[in-house]
Amino acid sequence: MKFPGPLTIRVTCALKLTGRMMVSRIFPLLLGILVNTTILRGQQLVDATAADKQTLQLLLQRIDQLEARVKQLEAAKQAAPLSLPSAPAQTSAPPASEAELQADNAVPERMDSSKTLLRMRGFGDITLHGDSQRHDTTAFSLGQLNLFITSDISEKFKFLSEIVFEGGPDNIFGETRGENNAFGVDVERMVLQYSHSDYFRLAVGRYHTAIGYYNTAYHHSTWFQTTTGRPFLFQFEDRGGILPVHTVGASASGLIPSGHLGLHYVAEVGNGRASRSPITDEPVQNVVDDQNHKAFNLALFARPDAVRGLQVGFSAYRDLLAPANLPRIGESIFAAHAVLVRSKFEWLNEVLVVRHAPSGTPRVFNTPGFYTQVSKQFGSYRPYFRYQYVNAPSTEPIFPDVGLRQGPSFGLRYDASETVAVKLQYDYTALRGQPAVNALALQVGFTF
Amino acid sequence: MRRRAGLQFILASAVFSIAALCFGSAPNSSSLPKPQIASEQNLAVVVNLSNPVQNLSMPELRRIFLGERSHWPNGRRITLVMMETGQPERDVVLRDICQMNETDFNNHFLHGVFTGEVFVSPKTLATPVGVRKFVFNVPGAIGYLRVSDLDSTVKALRIDERGPEDKGYRLHVPPRSSK
Repeated sequence: MKFPGPLTIRVTCALKLTGRMMVSRIFPLLLGILVNTTILRGQQLVDATAADKQTLQLLLQRIDQLEARVKQLEAAKQAAPLSLPSAPAQTSAPPASEAELQADNAVPERMDSSKTLLRMRGFGDITLHGDSQRHDTTAFSLGQLNLFITSDISEKFKFLSEIVFEGGPDNIFGETRGENNAFGVDVERMVLQYSHSDYFRLAVGRYHTAIGYYNTAYHHSTWFQTTTGRPFLFQFEDRGGILPVHTVGASASGLIPSGHLGLHYVAEVGNGRASRSPITDEPVQNVVDDQNHKAFNLALFARPDAVRGLQVGFSAYRDLLAPANLPRIGESIFAAHAVLVRSKFEWLNEVLVVRHAPSGTPRVFNTPGFYTQVSKQFGSYRPYFRYQYVNAPSTEPIFPDVGLRQGPSFGLRYDASETVAVKLQYDYTALRGQPAVNALALQVGFTF
Repeated sequence: MRRRAGLQFILASAVFSIAALCFGSAPNSSSLPKPQIASEQNLAVVVNLSNPVQNLSMPELRRIFLGERSHWPNGRRITLVMMETGQPERDVVLRDICQMNETDFNNHFLHGVFTGEVFVSPKTLATPVGVRKFVFNVPGAIGYLRVSDLDSTVKALRIDERGPEDKGYRLHVPPRSSK
């Protein structure tokens, strides 16, 4: 390292003095200083070469000493039994932060500009299916390609999203749009979660509405589900479903202090479903709400300690729809469920009613529905059975195409590996005023 | 007629379900009293010294190890520490606390993270020393160690009012293999 010598200081002072002089007087002075500097620097280099050699020798000696010391310490450490740092008093300085330690021992979670915070998991499925409906053909179908992304933003905040690539046309209350074989991309979930405590969590964004059980237990992945698809009651909006499966808004959830009863609550407020009729646009109001009124949903459920895997609960959803050329319609959805889910056994039971009440008329349209599903694991095989029922009035103002549909499904799931499941399912669906539909599907669902 | 048919299906499913449930609810091996082999050690559930919790019931412990609880009473976030797959200590925790096998445990957390119910996945560490270091340094951490691996840097919790040195303690781990 070089420090400014007396000569450099002299140059600086000289420059300051000459600042006021005329240019013609500066050049000779600078020339003289430069010559002096060069001569003096040459003398200094000769002296410095000798000094550097001495310094280098000293440094090499110092390195030798330090290496010897390190060897001595390592030998002492191996000879002595493992000793950990003594425990600090509880009131003393706090231990190292979680971020510091996790950097040593586990996957780092804190912001590091050189690394991404994202974690990604993929899900997909491919199905071979055929049915007895007119104009339907037996076909291989690419299912949803789901990229599930999470990020632990901080100790209290977490981000979660599902980006789904999906083929085929949309079906919104009987209105079909899009091409048969084209793929589209949907952001199915995009949620920022804040966890204050077990008693209060807040999520904002687009999430699955906490109506019943199935809608929040299963999302856009068939691999998680026992069957090849969701019950018709909980079918997605763009697949002909009748419920506002997705909501854009805010959701608070948490435990209710209740001891062994294990009570939980969910309270949601959001845009609700689009109520234009017929719907030709996205049924989930992602960006713009077609009215100021907001949808509300309240769910309560219990997970008692006494019966492991049991969950019972109910939910109440309320919205006000404003279809074009129709009076406003009050929408209420009441749902109840009792499920028993264990590793080797599941029994799901849900019942709900969708109630539409056009204002100004005494008429009310009730659409009841239920399903029951049971399965039992035998090694890698899981046979299952489901019966489902939905009965919408033929004059139902929001989804006139649904009508009555009911029937059983039988199937067998085979877990070919921990991440690949093969399912064979038969469905019989009785329809009002139409021939019943027999359908068979063979599906492979996987995660990657 | 259709309603009757529907009811019949529901009844049939209910009968099938009950039968399956009865079949499936055979006494769990973990709930039976197991004779403790002489060479077995107790497995202590350990937390950071600053953690005010002294005792947990087995259902509470299960909820914590399944990620269904994410915060301690003092507000700190729970950081679950698991040992690597195949370690006897991990097997004991899966069998006696979580009542699951390895696949079910992994699927449970995958599903929990997917639904958003589980806030953070467990950290996996290779050695008891690593677990001890982690728990010592992370105020919200909870892990497990053989009693012989305990020292004063971590706090062993009582489970159902019994400490790891007490008679009747429920978590036992087989001896380490000699290789």
